[in-house]
Amino acid sequence: MKILPTFSFICLLTISPCFPAHAQEETKQKEKAPLLSGVAVSADLVGFAMKACNAKYANMEVGARINILDKYFPAAELGIGDCKREGAETGNIFSTTSPYMRFGLDYNFNKKHNGNRLFGIFRYGFSSFKYDIRNDEFDDPTYHQTISLDLSGQKATAHWLEFGIGLETKLWSFIRLGWSIRYKFRAALSHPEEGKPYYIPGFGKNDSNGWGGTVNLVFDVGKTKRKQKTEKQDQ
Amino acid sequence: MRRRLLFIVMGLGMLAACESYDCTLYNHVGMYAAFDHEGNAVQIRDTLTITAGKSGPVLLNKSVGTASLDLPLSFWQDEDTLVLSVKGEDYFLQDTVWVSKTNEVHYESPDCPTTLFHTIREVRNTHQFIKSITVIRSSVNYENTTNLQFHLLTDN
Repeated sequence: MKILPTFSFICLLTISPCFPAHAQEETKQKEKAPLLSGVAVSADLVGFAMKACNAKYANMEVGARINILDKYFPAAELGIGDCKREGAETGNIFSTTSPYMRFGLDYNFNKKHNGNRLFGIFRYGFSSFKYDIRNDEFDDPTYHQTISLDLSGQKATAHWLEFGIGLETKLWSFIRLGWSIRYKFRAALSHPEEGKPYYIPGFGKNDSNGWGGTVNLVFDVGKTKRKQKTEKQDQ
Repeated sequence: MRRRLLFIVMGLGMLAACESYDCTLYNHVGMYAAFDHEGNAVQIRDTLTITAGKSGPVLLNKSVGTASLDLPLSFWQDEDTLVLSVKGEDYFLQDTVWVSKTNEVHYESPDCPTTLFHTIREVRNTHQFIKSITVIRSSVNYENTTNLQFHLLTDN
């Protein structure tokens, strides 16, 4: 929980440059965005980077969203959660590679239609996944019988909710870059008696709650002409 | 552009996470037993030794004044054989107890030791100094409560 004050401070530092611009904009006449202002697809770079760095787990995901009035962004995210973790002293190995999905909404707080977004996030996440538990040298300390423990193909289902904030900025033409940080609540988890999963695809380490984050590379693939016209007027 | 890059780098920095291990603190699995004679709790005053079978590991070594037992069960055997030997100044008694059980893997996380829980199915013995055995609680897990009650033939 020591991360929280640091996180708040960094958020304030990061977000604060946006506010003077907002204050100036309030004096201007309110701009109006079209009802369907575009469609975008995105990829989370963190997950792919974690996989490349051989991290203990990685959520590799892509997403799509619809821009409604440049304010509401219904979004869907699909991904593959990958984890292989070996206990340093126990020899227990947990592994899974399974899909997950999230649905939800972004709400853009930036009233100016300049391509930058400061947004609130709500997501419902779901994963039905299989996982393996192994220990090649599982020792009975009293009877000294060593066997290979193999609990492969355990099935579990998890549901969770995510709330967070994010920032996104236009890099060039239709390419945007942004990040989000999310607080996750595990709503439900069913798993076999033998052992609970160490990791839930899309959620992270199995706990009642946790933090997560994304760094998104976003492509505006379906920008409407009306919106492009609005952006030209902004410039 | 510099400001944009700054907040992206800050965002990446925040993703660094801490990790803690949440293993069960009291993670000893044992089969607990107590002795009685005609309903009254008794203790075995002379030397009690318990081995797993005739030549297995020693589970209790030369215990004196024993009122209760905390015995480990095997991880993988369907039936454990316990040989209880009581040695006094002028006598030696030996009773063999067979504990039939199921073995259920209890896994918590990669960083916590995996153990096995058991369910006692049946207990029988040779009646040399133990008259009978009652299964009080069949589940053998982290709970520290009596599983078996050994009814002795004498109050020693």
